[in-house]
Amino acid sequence: MRLNKDDRVIHPFWVMVYKEVSDQVRSWRFIILAGLMILTCTGSLYTSISNLSKIVKPDTAGNHLFFLKLFTSSNGTLPPFHVFIAFIGPLIGISLGFDAINSEQNGRTLSRIMAQPVHRDYLINAKFVASLIVISAMFLALNLLVIGVGTLTTGIPPTFEAFIRILAFLILSIVYVAFWLNLSILFSVRFRQAATSALTCVAIWIFFSVFYQIIVKLIAAAIVPQPGAAPTSQIISAEKWILGISRIMPGQLFSDATTTILVPSVRSLGPLTVEQVYGALPAPLPFGQSLLLVWPEVTGLIAATVICFAISYRLFMKREIRSR
Amino acid sequence: MCTRLFGTCYLCFLLFTGAAAISFSANAQQDTSHHGNAQAVELYSPYTSISVTPGQTINYSISIINHSNSTKNVGLEADGIPRNWTHTLKSGGFDISRISVLPKKQENASLQLMVPLRVNRGYYHFTVRAGGYTTLPLTVIVSKQGTYKTDFSTAQANLEGASSTTFTFNAKLVNETADTALYALESQAPPGWMVAFKVNYSNQVASVNVAPNQTENITITVNAPDQVKAGTYQIPVFATTGSTTAGLNLSVVITGSYAMELSTPTGLLSSHITAGGEKDIALVVKNTGSAPLKNISLSSQTPADWSVAFSPAKIDEIEPGATSQVTAEVKASKEAIAGDYATTLTATTPETSSHTDFRISVRTSMLWGWIGVIIILLALLSVYYLFRKYGRR
Repeated sequence: MRLNKDDRVIHPFWVMVYKEVSDQVRSWRFIILAGLMILTCTGSLYTSISNLSKIVKPDTAGNHLFFLKLFTSSNGTLPPFHVFIAFIGPLIGISLGFDAINSEQNGRTLSRIMAQPVHRDYLINAKFVASLIVISAMFLALNLLVIGVGTLTTGIPPTFEAFIRILAFLILSIVYVAFWLNLSILFSVRFRQAATSALTCVAIWIFFSVFYQIIVKLIAAAIVPQPGAAPTSQIISAEKWILGISRIMPGQLFSDATTTILVPSVRSLGPLTVEQVYGALPAPLPFGQSLLLVWPEVTGLIAATVICFAISYRLFMKREIRSR
Repeated sequence: MCTRLFGTCYLCFLLFTGAAAISFSANAQQDTSHHGNAQAVELYSPYTSISVTPGQTINYSISIINHSNSTKNVGLEADGIPRNWTHTLKSGGFDISRISVLPKKQENASLQLMVPLRVNRGYYHFTVRAGGYTTLPLTVIVSKQGTYKTDFSTAQANLEGASSTTFTFNAKLVNETADTALYALESQAPPGWMVAFKVNYSNQVASVNVAPNQTENITITVNAPDQVKAGTYQIPVFATTGSTTAGLNLSVVITGSYAMELSTPTGLLSSHITAGGEKDIALVVKNTGSAPLKNISLSSQTPADWSVAFSPAKIDEIEPGATSQVTAEVKASKEAIAGDYATTLTATTPETSSHTDFRISVRTSMLWGWIGVIIILLALLSVYYLFRKYGRR
């Protein structure tokens, strides 16, 4: 236990979190990841700012939210910021968590920690909380960087609603990365070798980001009839099936959610019938409605993250940790 | 005795002869003008007796013909013209009093004679005198009794139109007096009516100056009040000087206008609705025309699968300026997506219609939001359960 200046006793759990955070930020792995994030962030920020004058047209609805275009617009050379997060987020989560438990075990430090008068679950909780703090700090810094540079170049501060939406995007990104973090912690508990755990995580990541999409396209080609060959209701129900299948992907959930949060004019994620579009006015949705629209996706992401954590927690608590 | 008689006789003789001599000499003089000097100068005009109306101007063309072999310098004058008639004698563009005529030639002169307005009916004789040579007797017959007044008239004193029309009357103001007159133009229109006088396409005027025997064209524009009821309205207008007054009675027939306005009591034309839900919108139909509106039916143009029910479905009658309350119950489609939809509500009568565009924001039902919250709570509860079961080991 440590005492700080005020002679206040710091809870041993936070001592462990503190240690984990300092280990994380001093590791080469984190420095490389942070450098990668800053590079991609700068790149997408540059393309969106250079493209901003072409995108923002006068007298169109939702111009008070033009600040969000910094996150979503691109001139085609680089993907926009939120797509970058969707792509690199899993990598950060995996790399921060894939050796959380098994490296301690292989380094024979696990039994030493357990020899200390702390509860066993403090270890896995501290690992998770420390990584979450690191991720949150990094994303918060990146988002504030975008807001700051955007305000500096355009001279217009974000409106309150734009700021709320950026905050929601930040929380969504943290939850999304936390999902991959928990998945990698799960594998680090399950597999004794760090390499196996890392490869399994990367395999799942690549499966979802590449192969699963191909499978979805194959299924779509098989079950969605050609337009005109079947009644509209049948085509729509098939399209909804395909959407449902593709939403097993956490990446799909994240991109659906962020697109709706950052592009207020998105009013629906599924296929729309002519009846639904008739009479609709092109106007941005209020933030509450956008959030309600993607609430299932947000629920899915949060629930998947929590469930991954619950499984890894149970696995860790029930296993034999004495060194061989 | 005898000498007295003789003397008396002689005196009588002298008197007789004197008178005879005078009469003779007068005759001789007439003879010379007709026969002697008539050979020298002759006056000629084709129209020696003319019938005119008061106020008319006569132009006599008079030829002065020299029959002699020497140049004659002739004095010309008109004699016996009534005092208030004006006349001028002109030749070659000049006012003349004498004229010279070459041997065996003729000159032309014109006598312009203005018959005044205030003149009695009858025969007027006068002569044109060529000094010492000859005279030309002329006769003017004034065919009717002359007047001394102002004439204010229009060809079309009755116009018809809706209350929004600008009625334009073209009137003539004739000053049939001897003096230039300043007429004050005024109207006795009913309250709320706007009457404007314009002269020669100028701006609005309040008075006009008219020279004697001249005509001024006056444009009178009349604007009815917006809320005027249908009917016939008399608008007397007057041109007044200190001595004379001329009036003109204009009449305007208002047919009545049909106009109405569909809005809400607050003027707010947007509303919120939950997908699949219902919403009551209070509407106000106002008759902004001047004729009563009857059988007003209400209809709507909505997005697909939406419906609007009006209560009451039909308004029997709204008086001009009056309003009527209607409640529209909007029912949104269950399939409606979040965001704004346009709905047009229309009030229609056989004569006119009014439509209002509503912007209705659809909000998603909170039901699935709460279900999502419950799912997240369940996941967190499972973690809490694990903490309780395995923690503190």
